[in-house]
Amino acid sequence: MKLLKPWITVLVGYLLLKFGVPLVGSVLHPGTWPVVPTSVMKMYVFFMVAGALLINSFSEEGYNASIGPVMDLYTNPAKGRLRMGVILVVGLFGAYVAYQYVKPTFDAPVELRSVHPAPPSAAKAWGKSYNLQTLKNPFREDTANLAKHSEEGGKVYYQNCYFCHGDMMLGKGPYAEGFNPMPANFVDIGTIAQLTESFVFWRISTGGPGLPSEGTPWISAMPIWHHLLSEEEVWKVIIFLYDYTGHKPRVMAEHH
Amino acid sequence: MRSTKGIMTVAAAVALAVYFAALTGPAIAAAGDVKNGETVYMKKCWWCHGKEGEADGPGADFMIPPPRNFADGVYKYRSSAPDSDLPRDEDLFRMISDGMPGTSMPAWSKVLDEKQRWDLVAYIKSLTDMFEDMENPPEMAYPSPAPSSPDSIAKGKQLFKDAKCFECHGEGGKGNTIKKLKEESGAKLWPRNLTQPWTFRGGNDPKDIYARITSGIPNTPMPAHAAEKTGAGKLSVEDRWHVVNYVMSLADSRMEVKEGEIVVKGVYRETLPTDENDPAWDIAEGTTFFLVPQIIQDERIYDPSNNGILVKSTFTDKEVAFLLEWDDRTRSVKGDPTSAMLAWGALGSDGVAIQTPLDLDNLASGKPYFGHGDASRPVSMMYWNSGDVEKGQSGSMFSTIGSGKKDVSDAAAAGFVSTGSYKDGTWKVMMRRNLVTDAKDKDTQFAAGKYIPIAFANWDGSNGEIGSKHTLTTWRWLLLKPETGSAVVMVPLMVFVLLVAGQFIFSVVGRKED
Ligand code: HEC
Ligand code: HEC
Ligand code: HEC
Repeated sequence: MKLLKPWITVLVGYLLLKFGVPLVGSVLHPGTWPVVPTSVMKMYVFFMVAGALLINSFSEEGYNASIGPVMDLYTNPAKGRLRMGVILVVGLFGAYVAYQYVKPTFDAPVELRSVHPAPPSAAKAWGKSYNLQTLKNPFREDTANLAKHSEEGGKVYYQNCYFCHGDMMLGKGPYAEGFNPMPANFVDIGTIAQLTESFVFWRISTGGPGLPSEGTPWISAMPIWHHLLSEEEVWKVIIFLYDYTGHKPRVMAEHH
Repeated sequence: MRSTKGIMTVAAAVALAVYFAALTGPAIAAAGDVKNGETVYMKKCWWCHGKEGEADGPGADFMIPPPRNFADGVYKYRSSAPDSDLPRDEDLFRMISDGMPGTSMPAWSKVLDEKQRWDLVAYIKSLTDMFEDMENPPEMAYPSPAPSSPDSIAKGKQLFKDAKCFECHGEGGKGNTIKKLKEESGAKLWPRNLTQPWTFRGGNDPKDIYARITSGIPNTPMPAHAAEKTGAGKLSVEDRWHVVNYVMSLADSRMEVKEGEIVVKGVYRETLPTDENDPAWDIAEGTTFFLVPQIIQDERIYDPSNNGILVKSTFTDKEVAFLLEWDDRTRSVKGDPTSAMLAWGALGSDGVAIQTPLDLDNLASGKPYFGHGDASRPVSMMYWNSGDVEKGQSGSMFSTIGSGKKDVSDAAAAGFVSTGSYKDGTWKVMMRRNLVTDAKDKDTQFAAGKYIPIAFANWDGSNGEIGSKHTLTTWRWLLLKPETGSAVVMVPLMVFVLLVAGQFIFSVVGRKED
């Protein structure tokens, strides 16, 4: 029984990786099922199995119990047939594993990226420098005209953004499938709902190329909007994004 | 006593009414609430369809096809009996719920519940007087469908010619029209590519196609074909079903993008195919990529026509070749009168480009920008275009460090060859060059066995696509897979032999110790 424990742990660990991780992911980001990449999975399983073997061979009793039957199988003259069978099966299994490694495949390499890298403290756009720690949306205070600003932001959105981010803000615009990474889903709680307006301003103004290296530069198709829009238009489209989705921008905690 | 009986009667009547309401679906439609519909419309729909439904929302000028004009009340996709001009409520409900593939109109069932969608139907009907005092028209009949068979398909093929479908949809159905077509409003209109049923907007079931042929597509030149007898561009019920079977048989999934397929599969060969039509290409497996319009930097394009490109690759020890294939409704060659007649805007040439990073040894720190690279990470291009009537087609190689900053390479020295031909609505272009060249500062040095970022761009010269106005893919992968040869067999075999021998020795030694 004691010897089974490490193996049960391995099984539980495997199931957690296989189903637990995607489950947590799907709760955080409804509509997704983010599986652990096979290569990462293989690595974890290898370490878990090695660990279990190691733990089982710590004690004399454990060593005998796990190694004893094996020795018996290979040396007991009465088990000749079974021995032949096992030798063949082990050989074939090894050959199969080796084949998996050398067989021709065209599987794409796995690429990881950090979705929300730490923003720089200052951002450059429209030939100016912005302090992202203190930057505020100038239209947010103007509560009397917020609806008007939102509608103007909506015009910016339907003339520039919906192609990728979608009519429904779900990141599924008519051309979204052509891009990797996929355009952000603004309804999801994982994007603008957890960001400050200054972060969103930085992301929109400087686009994919503005991301630091953890965001794997040069891959995101998000355009550099300070080349195409005015500063006001960017602030207004931000008002619109929050208004349409009903999310509230995160407010920076005041440091005392 | 009497009052109890009265209540019982009323209750029974109410129950019956509810029962019948539940039986007759459209009752819900009639119950669509205009006021609620307006609220949803003013939040979700006006951006394209306009505040008064006049198809003049802020987004309207940035899409082809343009949004529907609800003030006109003319709808494209309807299943109503052919003698009615109006769509059925169910048609509107379906378009709103399922969306229209290949257009900006999404499937609203993802975010709106059934009630909200019926409310919208009621609201958009109230934006025109077309529906005033009108009953919901009955559904068209779908009498005795002819089952599909080689015979029926052959008949359908002939009728496709006789009824002049081919004039707009092309001989093979790829939409390679011989006429320039417009929507009623004058908007640019390309006929459907019938080999791509996943782009059909009113559904791709036989019944849907039957409905389109029967009633045509209002607002567009696609005519209604319903008639008692076949002749003069009209089709009888039976013949319409033969045409349906023919249209269904045209489906070709090769051009459909398969999810997750992002690698161009370069296969090793002793010799390369000689040109784009060489049957030797048949053995190479193609990968299809979604072409998206360049909406990332100025000048942007919002009304692309081509939607996908199929890429194959083979290589030898010395050279690499690519086959690029895409459906294009027009063969655009400058100076050609037929091209000019079909073109929207100034006629340009059709073209295609392959982009790879210039320096493949320096990818660990990141790929070049997918839009022409930049100063620190240049890219290398292979380019082909259909040219003009006098000089014919041409190709070139160059490197860039950002849009418009190009440095032309010596294509002849790189062994670069490009040839293309157009047939029945499809371009096939082959590009070939040496794997390794002398111009290390301008040409990518290809090598087998590593993942090479690769991207594509495409121009449809009859669709106003010129310069930065084109379609593209972002980075995908190219793998020139080295000939695996003996390793595939030898490595597993060696492992097998070693394992078996090892176990033998182990058991022999073990027995001796005993
Ligand atoms: C060509 C496609 C494309 C267009 C057009 C586009 N985006 Fe993006 N956008 C992306 C992609 C892809 C991402 C995800 C990768 C990234 O974070 O850069 C993204 C990310 C974002 C993010 C970051 C969200 C987060 O959680 O970090 C914001 C904010 C954003 N886009 C806003 C906009 C706005 C506003 C517009 C229009 C002015 C716009 N985008 C237009 C492709 C696009
Ligand atoms: C981003 C732009 C956009 C938005 C937002 C949009 N539509 Fe559309 N809609 C279109 C386009 C474009 C077409 C025309 C497609 C075509 O002609 O093939 C269309 C067509 C339609 C049609 C006509 C179907 C037919 O058979 O003719 C209906 C009905 C419709 N939309 C309803 C709605 C409703 C209701 C909403 C809001 C919930 C909405 N649309 C939001 C772009 C949009
Ligand atoms: C005068 C030109 C013309 C003729 C003739 C014509 N079509 Fe079309 N057809 C079109 C156009 C244009 C469209 C696309 C309309 C749009 O996108 O709004 C179309 C669309 C279609 C569709 C796609 C419907 C969908 O749901 O997306 C089918 C199927 C079709 N046509 C079949 C036929 C058949 C079969 C015939 C002959 C019986 C025919 N057409 C004759 C111009 C034509």
